[in-house]
Amino acid sequence: MSSRAIVIGSGANELVAAHRLARGGFQVIVSGEGSDSGHGDIGWAPPQVIRAFALERNGLVIDRPDPWAAAPLAAGGRLELWCDMARSVESIRRLSPRDAAKWPEFCARMACLAGFLEAIYQRAPPDPLSLKFALHARLLGRQGLVDLLRLLPMSVAELLDDWFESDALKGLLGAAGVMHLAQGPRSGGTAFRLLHHHVGSPPGVFRPPRSNIRKVLAKLPGIETRAGKARSIAVREGRVVGVVLESGDEIPASMVLSGADPRRTLLELADPGWLDPELSRSVQHVRRRGVVARVTLELDRSPGFSTLAIAPSLDYLERACDDAKYGGVSRLPYLEACCDERHRVEVHVQYVPFGVEDAGLVERVVKALSAHLGGAAVAARAVSMPADLEEREGWPGGQLHHAELTLDQALWMRPVPQLARYRTPIAGLWLCGPAMHPGGGIAGACGWNCAGEILASRP
Amino acid sequence: MRSYEVIVIGGGHNGLVCAAYLARAGRKVLVLERRSRIGGAALTEEVFPGFRFSVFSYVVSLLRPEIIRELELPRHGLHILPLESTLTPLPNGDYLAQWNDHDQNRRELARHSLRDAEAYDEFGRLMHQMSRAVKPLLGMTPPDPASFSLKDLLGLARLGRYFKGLGKGEFHALHKLLTMSSADYLDEWFESEALKATKSASGTIGTLLGPRSPGTAYVLLHHYMGEIDGVFRAWGFAKGGNGSVSQAIAAAATASGAVIRTEAPVARVLLAGSRASGVVLEGGEEIRAPTVISGADPRRTFLDLVGEKHLPGELVASIRRFKFRGASCKVNLALSEAPSFTCLPGPGAHLRGAISISPSVAYLERAYDEAKYGEPSRRPYMDIVIPSMIDPAMAPPGKHVMSIFVQYAPYAVNGGWSDARREAFGDTVIETLAEYAPSIKSAILHRQVITPADIERSLGLSEGNIFQGELTLQQMFFLRPAPAWSQYRTPIAGLYQCGAGTHPGGGVMGAPGRNAALTVLADGR
Repeated sequence: MSSRAIVIGSGANELVAAHRLARGGFQVIVSGEGSDSGHGDIGWAPPQVIRAFALERNGLVIDRPDPWAAAPLAAGGRLELWCDMARSVESIRRLSPRDAAKWPEFCARMACLAGFLEAIYQRAPPDPLSLKFALHARLLGRQGLVDLLRLLPMSVAELLDDWFESDALKGLLGAAGVMHLAQGPRSGGTAFRLLHHHVGSPPGVFRPPRSNIRKVLAKLPGIETRAGKARSIAVREGRVVGVVLESGDEIPASMVLSGADPRRTLLELADPGWLDPELSRSVQHVRRRGVVARVTLELDRSPGFSTLAIAPSLDYLERACDDAKYGGVSRLPYLEACCDERHRVEVHVQYVPFGVEDAGLVERVVKALSAHLGGAAVAARAVSMPADLEEREGWPGGQLHHAELTLDQALWMRPVPQLARYRTPIAGLWLCGPAMHPGGGIAGACGWNCAGEILASRP
Repeated sequence: MRSYEVIVIGGGHNGLVCAAYLARAGRKVLVLERRSRIGGAALTEEVFPGFRFSVFSYVVSLLRPEIIRELELPRHGLHILPLESTLTPLPNGDYLAQWNDHDQNRRELARHSLRDAEAYDEFGRLMHQMSRAVKPLLGMTPPDPASFSLKDLLGLARLGRYFKGLGKGEFHALHKLLTMSSADYLDEWFESEALKATKSASGTIGTLLGPRSPGTAYVLLHHYMGEIDGVFRAWGFAKGGNGSVSQAIAAAATASGAVIRTEAPVARVLLAGSRASGVVLEGGEEIRAPTVISGADPRRTFLDLVGEKHLPGELVASIRRFKFRGASCKVNLALSEAPSFTCLPGPGAHLRGAISISPSVAYLERAYDEAKYGEPSRRPYMDIVIPSMIDPAMAPPGKHVMSIFVQYAPYAVNGGWSDARREAFGDTVIETLAEYAPSIKSAILHRQVITPADIERSLGLSEGNIFQGELTLQQMFFLRPAPAWSQYRTPIAGLYQCGAGTHPGGGVMGAPGRNAALTVLADGR
């Protein structure tokens, strides 16, 4: 039992951490919490992870929709952004030749910065005051460094206004800057979010792919899976000694990795008495406001799109957020619809604050999309409000990232500085969920980094 | 004709500070001011007979103590009277007051929330600690992070060492302050709406941002910065109005031999090849000097006074991108009697302090929401002082002057500013104020409303931004006003910048003027 580790949760992060520890000689038990919704895992899978577990040989399928984003235009037709730069340019040209001409340079500049983040994302957060970090940043060159310093604190609206004139294009890109965030495109730090979604994708693609990474990882040998949710983490004399399941069974272990968010891990699963009051207060202050509902529509035939966004301008997004700031659901929400081959359309609806009821929401979503369904009829509909997403997907407060990915909760500040290196004040208890660096929307990076820290800390 | 070594364009407080330091170092300095009076936005004027106003900026809070000390400003007539309190009247007839007196303040806060009263001292300690951490940065010339010159590398190393020396805790606290919204930040500390709103309002001053916009938390520090110096009260009012700040600095400059010429508008900077050689006035007069320092904002300095054809394209692009977006308005009132607030009727100590119309964070955020789509706020945020309560010489006996700082009135208002629009906004301000002080309407003898468009027209501040450019993170430190040109120098040899558009920015601090002067001297000019 001295080298037994229990991993709480069975998402991509937890499974990556489990396998990496198993490779490092630990006996690993994964205690499943949260369910597989069958939607596939959204997120870029870091190359290190793919290589380490030979995921491609084991059946990894990365699904990158092409076009990766599309928006209906008021004048008819669609703006479509493709993985192929030339096709995007062609589509943008119909809106604005000036924007089309700028697109390749914009993409190149953003790709340079995303590359910088990509390297940072695949290990524990850097020390911003270290010489190593400074030298790394200098490698960006003058242009890149200035871009980085300017861009990080900026709002995505300001960034896009600098470059483009077309409302449709700015709305579509701005949406990537606010996805899953309780802020509008005019809020500082949202340009960083656009970059975050760009990491790991080719230039000109600002949306992470989907993959079956969780399924592939679950089938790999080397770890043991135990059904049943964790009820609490057993701690004695400041050290982890095991996990108690809902059934009452206790599994002894000298190490526990939790994929749950820090508030649940440290203040609910473990006895909060182990934390000093200041850390406890910081953990309680971690912002994790859910703003997304998911509407699922079954259509009788294909709507003629694979992806479609209703985000016609930056002002539209900002107004949608305005309603939520005062506790209401957006009257005109930002929608992002994805259709699979069985004509099932899954719609991301933003902004829907946690805990707010809105009986008319599905109707409004259907109405907003009806003109774009190509005549297909809606056979069935279902909605998951933020509270449902918390229940079904394990998103605390309905927040996918577990801790909102804002500049004050990113990198060495994620989720709070005292926990940023995945370890907690309780010996043997580690955090490996998306509340950790580098955050959600990346398949497995938090788990990879956490396991890396554990292996490096072994005597 | 006298010859000069240095010409300073603009007799605002930064230009004057810069001139004073250079004159003291023995340089022959000429200050050229476009208007008939010096002071720029730090100006006292008898707008209506017998009523004297700090027309634009109206309090002294951030003027650097080393400048007060080194230029001996008290000897030159600067006298700062403390503002003792901040009163926030509430719609329900109650109020929240913050007093300088610690015990009184604690009792008042406890009336609203015991928890807040407990947290207040700890919050104050953290803010003091953070102010101490930030203070050395204000007097520092920002190193260029992308440069390979030895000086910049040493500067960066020094900066890194400085941050390391702060310790992890302070560094992280600073990171939070720089990146969070003031509303989120204060939510971690307090629960009383009026307290959170009044504190967060100060984070939005001068910027088209709301209390929920990330990046506004940093300005919370400004309210704590002066106090730790112990030289004078942080939050004060200059006797004789804010024009006396400028007058005192000008007196210090002329005492050291600087010459100040008013009604001398500079049309452009004279160039000899890629060097500055003087200036041309609008009348055509040429004045030569090997060093020219512009106190104008970056847009005017680079795009108007120099001209883009003389500048690298990258700098021109940066300056074009530099955000101004003025959103602050000023209403000056001549009153026949002292105002009376429903929540605390009649005279009282609260009238000697600031009065803040900021009942809740949502109130402020709504005011911002209207402005971000180009409409003036229907229920604006206001910061009010009544200088005549502290300095009776500002108004005829028994009468009063009231200075109201108002947000938001966006420069780029839909349809543009007109006389009718301006007066309509003035009416909005009075209506809003009358909700808390109904008698104000009948007490108004005269009213002056100054919109961002007026500020731009009369002072030459682009888009009426009171800080010569928004003080947001992407326009601070080595990015202010443009990357590679944040060290007061310009691509034109002999041309320098000394306005609030350079590090560390505006707020009647004087630091840009001082830093620029030290740079000029270090360059051996």
